[in-house]
Amino acid sequence: MGFEFSVITDSLPALFAGAKLTWIITLLGIAGGMFFGILAGLGRLAGTEHLGEKPHGLPAYVAMAIRYLSGGYVETIRGTPIIVQAMFIYFAFPMIVKGLTDIERFRIEALTAAVITIVINAGAYIAEIVRGSVMSVNKGLLEAGQSLGISRFQLIVHIIGPIAFRRMIPPLGNQFIISLKDTSLFIVIGVGELTRQGQEIMASNFRALEIWLTVAIMYLIMTTVLAVTLRQVENKMKIF
Amino acid sequence: MSNIIEMHDVCKSFGDTEVLHAINLAIKEGEVVVVIGPSGSGKSTLIRCMNCLEMISKGTLVVDNIRIPEERRRVRQIRLEVGMVFQQFNLFPHMTALENVAFGPRKARSMGKSKAEEIASDLLAKVGLAEFSNKLPGQLSGGQQQRVAIARALAVNPKVMLFDEPTSALDPEMIGEVLDVMKKIAKESGMTMVVVTHEMGFASQVGDRLIFMDDGYIVEEGKPTEVMKNPQSKRLTEFLGHVKHH
Repeated sequence: MGFEFSVITDSLPALFAGAKLTWIITLLGIAGGMFFGILAGLGRLAGTEHLGEKPHGLPAYVAMAIRYLSGGYVETIRGTPIIVQAMFIYFAFPMIVKGLTDIERFRIEALTAAVITIVINAGAYIAEIVRGSVMSVNKGLLEAGQSLGISRFQLIVHIIGPIAFRRMIPPLGNQFIISLKDTSLFIVIGVGELTRQGQEIMASNFRALEIWLTVAIMYLIMTTVLAVTLRQVENKMKIF
Repeated sequence: MSNIIEMHDVCKSFGDTEVLHAINLAIKEGEVVVVIGPSGSGKSTLIRCMNCLEMISKGTLVVDNIRIPEERRRVRQIRLEVGMVFQQFNLFPHMTALENVAFGPRKARSMGKSKAEEIASDLLAKVGLAEFSNKLPGQLSGGQQQRVAIARALAVNPKVMLFDEPTSALDPEMIGEVLDVMKKIAKESGMTMVVVTHEMGFASQVGDRLIFMDDGYIVEEGKPTEVMKNPQSKRLTEFLGHVKHH
């Protein structure tokens, strides 16, 4: 069986459809992941000197609760395989809802489950990226801000945020690419993303070389787009 | 003249180590106080307590009629009235010189952008850096950065300026330009200043009072020239000996 170029051209429409779905899951997933990641990353630093003055009294206890909650989320997600998380959200979570409520036919779309999985999973890793970057901001800059009499919110938004963000970009690039490739695992819950499309075509024509080579190249193109985009953001901020 | 800063039996501890022991000190409006002392004597901690970057452990601090610890919720108000200049400049690296200086008026004093930038331009001109407005801190020399930092602290229009070893991180040829700006502020605006420094020339020229600290105590204080001429304690005699040799 030689290398048949026509196999590739014939399979392109289906593979493009899969790639489109991969792209959608990834973009929604990392957008939501950024949201939860920033929330949990700052949450893990609540009440510490990295976010300005340490609170006293009741706010200190609230901050501690937020810290433990965020920490629990990050450790739980980091400590379990993403494929188990996907299975849990797609199969187990609807059962919990059915058990606890009267809803008879509760079900989550496979695509929705895929997006939720990436959001939750990427969020946990991004939280650690956020935490590390915020911790790396020079304490003297926080003191300079505080000594001007600005609020904690202003300190986080105008000083800590921009400086930390610059340092987040390289590890965020890593995480975005990992999340994109993780979408290939959703083959197990039947989402028609790129890997699943490849698998289905392969199962009908057995042209493993042509199909998997094409699939690999398509992933490579998508990850390159992510990497180049982030590099451009980074270059824009290179001055400091 | 009334007191702008008062310390009554102020102690400061880090963990089990007490670094300031029952400090009593009053600073009058318009006074220029110079604090000297060996490394680890508590002089930096002393002035960092004055704007609550360090919260006092015991005693009472009164700044512009706000009492600490009773009114610790009003720390931000204290900081609006007490500006600080740091040894390491600590300019915001992502903002130009102008943005650094305009930041305080804009955010802490809630001014409009154009008004804040007008104030910032004036102050940059005052510290001799009008033509460097659009430079980032990384593009400026140490002396220039420190002058921007002084303008940034002044921009919030404080009643007191604290200087924490403002020339210690500078190359020798840049110390003069920073001290000149500080002298100008003291003489022209009658600003209340508390300056931690090893620059004895500055102390005798501009200082109204010299405080010598050692091991968390105020050991000697008085008119700078007199304290320097007639040190009462062995520690100050030794310390002055070391400083003069440099």
